[in-house]
Amino acid sequence: MIDLLDIHVGYGGHKALDGLSLHVNDGVLLGIIGPGGCGKSTMCRVIAGLVQPDAGEVFVNRCNFRTCNRHELQSAQKDIGVQFQNDALFEHITVLENVEYPLKRLTDLRAGEIEAKAVETLAMVGLSGFEHRLPNRLSGGQRRRVALARACITRPGLLICDEPTAGLDPQTSRTILDMIAGIRYQTKCTVLVVSSDVVGLVSISNRIALVWSGKVIEEDSTTVFRQSERKEVQRFLDDARLPFAGWAWD
Amino acid sequence: MDISSQVGGAAVLLWRILVRLFPPRFDKNEFRKCLYSMGYQSLSIMIATAFVVGVILVIQAFVFVDRYGMRSQLGWGAGFVTIRELGPVLLALMFSGRVGAFTTAELGTMTVTEQVDGLRCLAIDPISYLVVPRFLAMVISLTALTMIGNAVALVSASVMGDIMMEVDSHTFWSSLFSMLKVGDIVLSVTKSALFGAIIAVNSCFFGLGTSGGAPGVGVSVNKTVVSSAVAIFVVDFFSTFVLG
Ligand SMILES: Nc1ncnc2c1ncn2[C@@H]1O[C@H](COP(=O)(O)OP(=O)(O)OP(=O)(O)O)[C@@H](O)[C@H]1O
Ligand SMILES: [Mg+2]
Repeated sequence: MIDLLDIHVGYGGHKALDGLSLHVNDGVLLGIIGPGGCGKSTMCRVIAGLVQPDAGEVFVNRCNFRTCNRHELQSAQKDIGVQFQNDALFEHITVLENVEYPLKRLTDLRAGEIEAKAVETLAMVGLSGFEHRLPNRLSGGQRRRVALARACITRPGLLICDEPTAGLDPQTSRTILDMIAGIRYQTKCTVLVVSSDVVGLVSISNRIALVWSGKVIEEDSTTVFRQSERKEVQRFLDDARLPFAGWAWD
Repeated sequence: MDISSQVGGAAVLLWRILVRLFPPRFDKNEFRKCLYSMGYQSLSIMIATAFVVGVILVIQAFVFVDRYGMRSQLGWGAGFVTIRELGPVLLALMFSGRVGAFTTAELGTMTVTEQVDGLRCLAIDPISYLVVPRFLAMVISLTALTMIGNAVALVSASVMGDIMMEVDSHTFWSSLFSMLKVGDIVLSVTKSALFGAIIAVNSCFFGLGTSGGAPGVGVSVNKTVVSSAVAIFVVDFFSTFVLG
């Protein structure tokens, strides 16, 4: 369960989050949308315990991130898998080692078991045969999938995916979103997905949140959200439906 | 302007490093890798630098000892300056350019691509895992390399003295050893360890503080090299002043 209450995060004079509140129940797949720079990534980083808010309360699985000590924070973080917007792959080790890494650090499984699990997870994201490549020899979509495999290999109770579909063609984008939905189906974890593929996101999410200049201005179940009267919501959904409405050069 | 905040930030980082050293809590594997890449792989460039330092020093010292008719003191003249001053400083500047700049670029890239946050998500403390091993490896490497470099510089000085100034190497070494004090060696070791610590703290501080994508990494590397050089000169002055 995630509870954000009136979160403020500022960078210098600029407010990235400005009184953001959000409540997410266990087992929900929450799609997060919003214009660029509105604070989606910052919100994810607050939930992952990577950014301390200037004001406001953060509860993730009943752990209060503002008052808990470092060990409590670390043990809470062990149950959170994060796929970062920049993939954050470790560039000096192979794909397989990247995916094995969380298990090596967080569990005391034997090397053989770890490798078997990593190979299985890579197969699940469709990357069998790429185990021994270095990350910089992969395409953008393949890197995204390695990052996803690394985020979910420990079977975390909370999976956060920040822009897993950025810069991908529509087909690959759908494949990745389907994989995320599949992971949730298998492991029953709570999932937060930020994506600009609004149509794809709406098709896999139970609930949608719209972030607008540092606040969550609308959060509801997908069906209700689509019928919202708010002009920001309608504008966002319209833009997603008709990206190049009715004009051409010739 | 923000010099004070940089010095403050570096001091906080130094404190965090020291807290993790007593008792030692850091990644031994990473430490071994750093020791190899920073120490062993710097050996050839440091020896080349030291060799040139020795040659230049003996030429400069010769002008003085010759003017005052004290050719027999050439070894002391060259050795004194090499061990106490130029050896530690020049080798530290070289080390800062090779190892310090590389470390900032490495940690800076890890920061802007969120790899450092990736570590924190796995409940790995970036300071124990990335910074402390680099700090220890740089202090140990630079101290050891400076001692090796001092020896190389003195050997090259004695050979040059023999060939070009007709000061035979026996005279060179005996003048050096009769005048050299243990305190000179202690000063040299202390300086190089301090310089290693300066380069390590600076490079990790600016590396982990990188923001603004790939161009930000360049900015950080620049800051590391400049601030390390300034700090090396300042600390050199004070350590010479205090330790004699
Ligand atoms: N490290 C930082 N330093 C300064 N400002 C920052 C930093 N990180 C984010 N910001 C600012 O905070 C605001 C929110 O950033 P954030 O990355 O959360 O946006 P976002 O919604 O994820 O955008 P995008 O869709 O482009 O990824 C932006 O205006 C950004 O300029
Ligand atoms: Mg973002």
